[in-house]
Amino acid sequence: MLSWLLAACQWLAATPLGTGIRESDNLFSVIETIHVLDIAGTAGVIAIVDLRLLGMLFSQSEVPEVLSPLVKVAWFGFALMAASGLLLFGAEAADLYANPAFRWKMLAIIALGLNQWIFHTGGPRVLAAVLSLGLWLTVIVLGRAIAYVS
Amino acid sequence: MSPLALCEWLSHTTASTAIRASRWAFAIIEMIHLLSLAVFGGCLLVLTLRVIGRFLAPRALHDVLLDISVAITSSLGVLIFSGALLFADGPLRYYANTAFRAKLLLLLTATTLGVATRRLAMREAGSPIVSPGLKAVSLFTVALWLCAGIAGRAVGVL
Repeated sequence: MLSWLLAACQWLAATPLGTGIRESDNLFSVIETIHVLDIAGTAGVIAIVDLRLLGMLFSQSEVPEVLSPLVKVAWFGFALMAASGLLLFGAEAADLYANPAFRWKMLAIIALGLNQWIFHTGGPRVLAAVLSLGLWLTVIVLGRAIAYVS
Repeated sequence: MSPLALCEWLSHTTASTAIRASRWAFAIIEMIHLLSLAVFGGCLLVLTLRVIGRFLAPRALHDVLLDISVAITSSLGVLIFSGALLFADGPLRYYANTAFRAKLLLLLTATTLGVATRRLAMREAGSPIVSPGLKAVSLFTVALWLCAGIAGRAVGVL
């Protein structure tokens, strides 16, 4: 199934960058630390945005007042998360290809993107906030599960 | 009882044995730890933005703190509880781990300074201006939390 994707993953893992990260004593751990701490901050900020949309936090402030500064931070955090995640993936692409937790995590991230797109094109904000909270929880849980399933 | 003797006793408790014997207990507790870290980290980031005037600047820091105090205290509570359970998985192993010791020290200092920040913010309640002293203490506390997070990741490496 999807042999071209497996071949691409094997090629990625064999690149000097993938090999360098995998074989370094500390590089993988350093990138992983950045990735995990960034997820903690970014997912937390997005959760606060979602809770504001649900009227559960900062209800005395207008929605744009809360969203405007936090969404900028969230985008920056997401970019850093994607960059560090790609580097981690590059180092273990061949193994991660077969990992069910990783596959479900990627699907959850795609669903998050779709949810954002629907929200920005005028979709119902309460539903978007609930879905976002649920999907971020799923992404974090599956991210940890990668190490425990094969 | 010395800390080492306490760790030895803890490693023989039912909770410790059960976590070690279970295939999924450690993983599930670790997931809960990470989820509470996300809530706590988000709150810290929001507070940092308020301190430097990039978030809800017209509102006093104390008001912003009050709004997220439930999220902060409950996530910190879950972090400590789940962290204690993770520690119970191998108390003697963690006792000897330099990164773990550094993490504990950083956590204690950051929590103490966090309480001090809250008290200082209370004194400035009603004013949207954050005094330089409060700003310095808040940012230093956030830096300590960040270092605690880094030390936490290092526990598994060292």
